[in-house]
Amino acid sequence: MAETVNAGQVRVGDRVARLEISGAWLVDPVAGREGPGEIVVRDGVLEAVTWLEGADAEGVGPGGVVVAAGFLDLHVHLREPGNEDAETVASGLAAAAHGGFTTVCAMANTTPAADEPGVFARVRAAAAASGSPVELLLHGAVTVGRGGERLAALGELADAGAVGFSDDGSPVQSAVILRNALLYAGMLGIPLFEHAEDPVLTAGAEANEGYVATVLGLKGWPVAGEVAAVERAIAVLVAVLPDAPRARLHLTHLSTAGALDAVRRAKAAGLPVTCDVTPHHLGLTDEWVAGARRWAWEALDGDGAARDPWADGALVAHPYATACKVNPPLRAAEDAAAVLAALVDGTADAVATDHAPHTQVDKEAEFGLAANGISGVETALGVLLAAVGARRLTLARAIEALTVGPARVLGARAGGRGGARGLTEGAPADLVVLDVGAAWTVSPEALASRGRNTPLLGRDLPGRVLVTVAGGRLAYRDPEA
Amino acid sequence: MSGTVGPSGPVAGVAWSQKHLLDVDVLSAADIGLVMKTTDAMKEILARPITKVPVLRGRNVTIIFYEASTRTRVSFEVAAKNLSADVVNIAASASSVTKGESLVDTIRTIEALGAHMIVMRHGTSGAPYLAAEVFSGSVLNGGDGWHAHPSQALLDLYTMRAHLGDLRGRKVVILGDVLHSRVARSNLWTLTAMGADLWICGPAPILRGFDAWAARWANGRGPAGHGGFTVTSDMDAALNGAEVVMALRLQRERMDAGLLPSLREYAARFGLTRERLAAARPDALVMHPGPMNEGVEIAPDVAVFDRSVITEQVTNGVAVRMALLYLLSGVHAGGFPEGAIGG
Repeated sequence: MAETVNAGQVRVGDRVARLEISGAWLVDPVAGREGPGEIVVRDGVLEAVTWLEGADAEGVGPGGVVVAAGFLDLHVHLREPGNEDAETVASGLAAAAHGGFTTVCAMANTTPAADEPGVFARVRAAAAASGSPVELLLHGAVTVGRGGERLAALGELADAGAVGFSDDGSPVQSAVILRNALLYAGMLGIPLFEHAEDPVLTAGAEANEGYVATVLGLKGWPVAGEVAAVERAIAVLVAVLPDAPRARLHLTHLSTAGALDAVRRAKAAGLPVTCDVTPHHLGLTDEWVAGARRWAWEALDGDGAARDPWADGALVAHPYATACKVNPPLRAAEDAAAVLAALVDGTADAVATDHAPHTQVDKEAEFGLAANGISGVETALGVLLAAVGARRLTLARAIEALTVGPARVLGARAGGRGGARGLTEGAPADLVVLDVGAAWTVSPEALASRGRNTPLLGRDLPGRVLVTVAGGRLAYRDPEA
Repeated sequence: MSGTVGPSGPVAGVAWSQKHLLDVDVLSAADIGLVMKTTDAMKEILARPITKVPVLRGRNVTIIFYEASTRTRVSFEVAAKNLSADVVNIAASASSVTKGESLVDTIRTIEALGAHMIVMRHGTSGAPYLAAEVFSGSVLNGGDGWHAHPSQALLDLYTMRAHLGDLRGRKVVILGDVLHSRVARSNLWTLTAMGADLWICGPAPILRGFDAWAARWANGRGPAGHGGFTVTSDMDAALNGAEVVMALRLQRERMDAGLLPSLREYAARFGLTRERLAAARPDALVMHPGPMNEGVEIAPDVAVFDRSVITEQVTNGVAVRMALLYLLSGVHAGGFPEGAIGG
């Protein structure tokens, strides 16, 4: 059994004076190694990583205490500045630490948008004031005010440390602007993070177009709206590569089999395309909007087709729960299975949460009028571990997609934390300690985020985060551990 | 208790279990049968010289419509008044809704003002579920977005049964803009629950998604107690041998949205005319939930000819809504106690 020793008096933000964990299952995604072992952290430094063998390793498996490199989230919304009722930098970083993340990349759709370095300075000041040791990386907007018309101050944002450019929340609607942004970002060597959506096909959309939306009378968000946008973006990338060989396209929160197939083909052709998928698109389905609450892999029949929640008694909650409203929408079970398959086969480089906290006011509304988004940075690990528990995903691949996968997407700007570095002796400790075998109940009290907008509320999730150490300092500790 | 205090026609052994009526998908065939039998009793009251009974005396029924409507709103109001309820009418445009008050705040306010039941019409699918979460009394969905219009489907069913009796195997055609129609969706649930041979017909862009739905329910794979249905754009095949033809309103916006070429073309290809209707059984019923676009989805001479039951639908609407208000009020929880009511 794992044993944990720590100094006990450490508070969030303090250097971790002493932390020793023995008899744990270590996962070092950078070294590509996992197995029984022990770690010693002293004065914030990961002093020793010892891999155990033989009798010492007996009884230690991946179903108990796991020590992994700290996670990296490519896609979170921290809402500051502009909507601090929904989330602040401080609450968002606390939520990230609770989720096991030691690095997060904040999207640019704040108010005002992060279209010039002044907004970066404000966000960084808020992070410094929070005292959180979680590393905050920043995306800059592609266009001024995310309006889609004129390029934002891309060069200045790059100089100020932008790790990506994105108008996320919206796609870059004009193909001409998309082309010019890929050229300019390519010149700077920074990836463009595209939210792939054809806004004409999705005008007024409320839920995934398909059986559930048809029955519920909700306006459909068609799969074609994502596939068409992904194929267009890849075509534009191909066109700019001769002029901008360093151009890179990252497609965020892909949710459809067709879009992931397009990425698979692009990668096979050697194009500089990467993508991420969210936990909710692989674990949840559109039948949750109707009131089902089973995992995506439980919603498929033996032929791999989506089951009918009206026909098999799966409807256990009220329909139209706005916690299930998200963009792109929760998809049919076949698409969710394709998202998970893309994660397993590496087509998806990373899991990103698209953590999108909202106030109760913005969610306690008619379904069609409610805000889009799921607060997800604290539940991501649990959803992935549910898939691991169902033998749909390996623990090693899940950890890889939370660490080295997203770090590779960011390249040189990935920061120096666990996700990029792994469990490296002699470096500042950047790791998460979790108990895969322990469950926790998702409740408003259990969440550090101000956004309680998750359809997982009330559900038990596997994988309790016991300790998160970020850059040698304590980021989170389970109050009961 | 005896005398003319309530509807007659006790229904033994069937209890009403729903607190709200938000959709018809939760109603079993037995539930629907109870609504039909209660409606019979209400029809009887409507045939009396004085159509008012005191069963909901002292109960506040608040009717809030976020969408313009005449017949449904008035029908609910007449129904509630026939049952002696206190009726409060809120037209959303005249209330604080236009000042930005949220639906949740509005419902809480209505509750604080003493409402026991709310009848709500809303342009957003699912809105009544939000109201039901907040309101401690019963919510009756008077139509929400494209989703459901339970009282309409039940009055349609009542009207069909009045003429045809048992609907098992009887061919019923719903014709027109199904995609945007809460009437079509609710009728789909009730008619498949009754075992009707349901056909849905219209031009492909406004049937979008329904072929997939029909495929899901084919070969007995639908929800328990529900049969399948047929979707087609072939109007002659749909009308062939039909016993009921229900035309749906086609809104001009569908042309503006580029879904269909023109009203003229729609009328020519999918308008219900005497000539097209010749393919149906000679005694086929013609129905329409209203308001009609005569000359578009239904020819003027079809709307008024002797097999048209469109005005009968309106009359039955009052009786069905009386039945629903009565059942939801719980004044006779567990059904009709023997002897407590009577003509």
